[in-house]
Amino acid sequence: MPKYAMVIDQSRCIGCMSCVVACKRENDVPPEHYRTRVLEMVSGEFPKLKSELRSELCNHCDNPPCVTVCPTGASHKEEDGSVQIDRKKCVGCKACVAACPYNARYINEEHGYADKCSFCQHRVRAGKQPACVATCIGKSRIFGDLDDPNSEVSQILRKHSYRVLLKGAGTRPNVYYINQFPKKS
Amino acid sequence: MELTITGANAITFPTLHIWDWRVAIYLFLGGLVGGLLTMSGVANLRPGKVVPRDQPCCWRIPLIAPILLSVGMFFLFLDLELKSHMLWFYLTFRPLSPMSWGSWLLVLIYPPMILYAFAAVPDALKAKMKDGFLKSFANRMRPHLLKLARINFVLGILLAIYTGILLSTFAARPLWNSAILPVLFLASGMSTGTALMIIMARKNEVKLFFTKVDIWMIFTEIMILLLFFYGHYTSDAVHRNAIMPFFNTSHQFFPYFLSIVALGIFLPLAIVLKFLEVSGDHTVELSPSGKFLMNASAVMVLLGGLVVRFALVYAGQLSGYGLM
Repeated sequence: MPKYAMVIDQSRCIGCMSCVVACKRENDVPPEHYRTRVLEMVSGEFPKLKSELRSELCNHCDNPPCVTVCPTGASHKEEDGSVQIDRKKCVGCKACVAACPYNARYINEEHGYADKCSFCQHRVRAGKQPACVATCIGKSRIFGDLDDPNSEVSQILRKHSYRVLLKGAGTRPNVYYINQFPKKS
Repeated sequence: MELTITGANAITFPTLHIWDWRVAIYLFLGGLVGGLLTMSGVANLRPGKVVPRDQPCCWRIPLIAPILLSVGMFFLFLDLELKSHMLWFYLTFRPLSPMSWGSWLLVLIYPPMILYAFAAVPDALKAKMKDGFLKSFANRMRPHLLKLARINFVLGILLAIYTGILLSTFAARPLWNSAILPVLFLASGMSTGTALMIIMARKNEVKLFFTKVDIWMIFTEIMILLLFFYGHYTSDAVHRNAIMPFFNTSHQFFPYFLSIVALGIFLPLAIVLKFLEVSGDHTVELSPSGKFLMNASAVMVLLGGLVVRFALVYAGQLSGYGLM
């Protein structure tokens, strides 16, 4: 079985937000809700400013607290490494929303179930890339199989030093960040 | 730092807000019922006393406990977003999910609680019962009263401690993520349960007995509350920041500051009043003013328990790891 992961090359993100739009369109995400977000952070004092663009989404953790707390098994870990939600089993207790340290979940107010990024499971099963990856003009988002040593994500993670968000939380995320700040010329 | 987020969900940004007064009331009533079951067990099992089983606190409490718990569960039900899927709680058992344990515990607790209520029905009330089946069932349960009191004593402790475990397992919410929280909710549940016992009791001797018990319960609760804050203050930055709303007088956090002030008044004042009660002369019946003070101090303890649940449910959702 594959083990899916995403690499986000922060130096290639141009902040066009097309990933946010593509995700909403692909997954029929209701207005006011989002499965992915882009943070634009500017710190320091002029003229010594430092800026960072960072895409965030569900980290599809190997040790997902949302799955542990789910009382019905609606939130579960699939064999491909992704964390998915069985909407028929979800009771809308919101425990998973509270348990996620990345604030990656929300309640679909239209239907009542908890929702989040699914790594576009329906597209991946059809042999396509997730919508955010396919639309990313700067190729900032890279998706692939970590168990395949020849996959793009495996090769990138071998070449670059990377970080994950909230490493200390012990969730073992599967979304990796590289090139937090572009190299100075 | 200047921050712009495209794609933030209102439910999690700028702070989490998923659970409201419904969950706070459920946690309060869960703790209260836990305290009631344990303390009514104490009332029925007290050694060396003529067992006053026909005393109101011995039979009314087992009767109202299932009703109060059902009210609490109704509030929890109101909080569910997909009420029609509720059956899934009982089609699965997830050993690592506290909410799964809780939903099964609540179901398992009802039969002994209802049997206890039947066993505790006094003869005077049985005489008024019109339904022959209920009457004979109550008669059949009566010999098992002490056994059921023991079982409910233990179940009460489990129920009260569970309400705290539910919140304390969320590592993503630093204010809740403390092993002391279940103990705090246990102490609070026991003190509120004892307070209601005092209100319900009619005899001087019983009221005084539970007043003495409540002094220790409140004292324990205050100590645990102080340790809870101290533990967070001496922990890492996110845990320290998690308790700051309680010590911040700005308009944004004023309700939390107010809750600490309220607890600082209610609980110590209740202890002082109770000390005055137990140190007084009790050879004669309580005067109306004495009864009023006794009940007033019990109401303060109940209010304190309510404030603890509301403050922690809301403040816990303000805490988090922030930007990573």
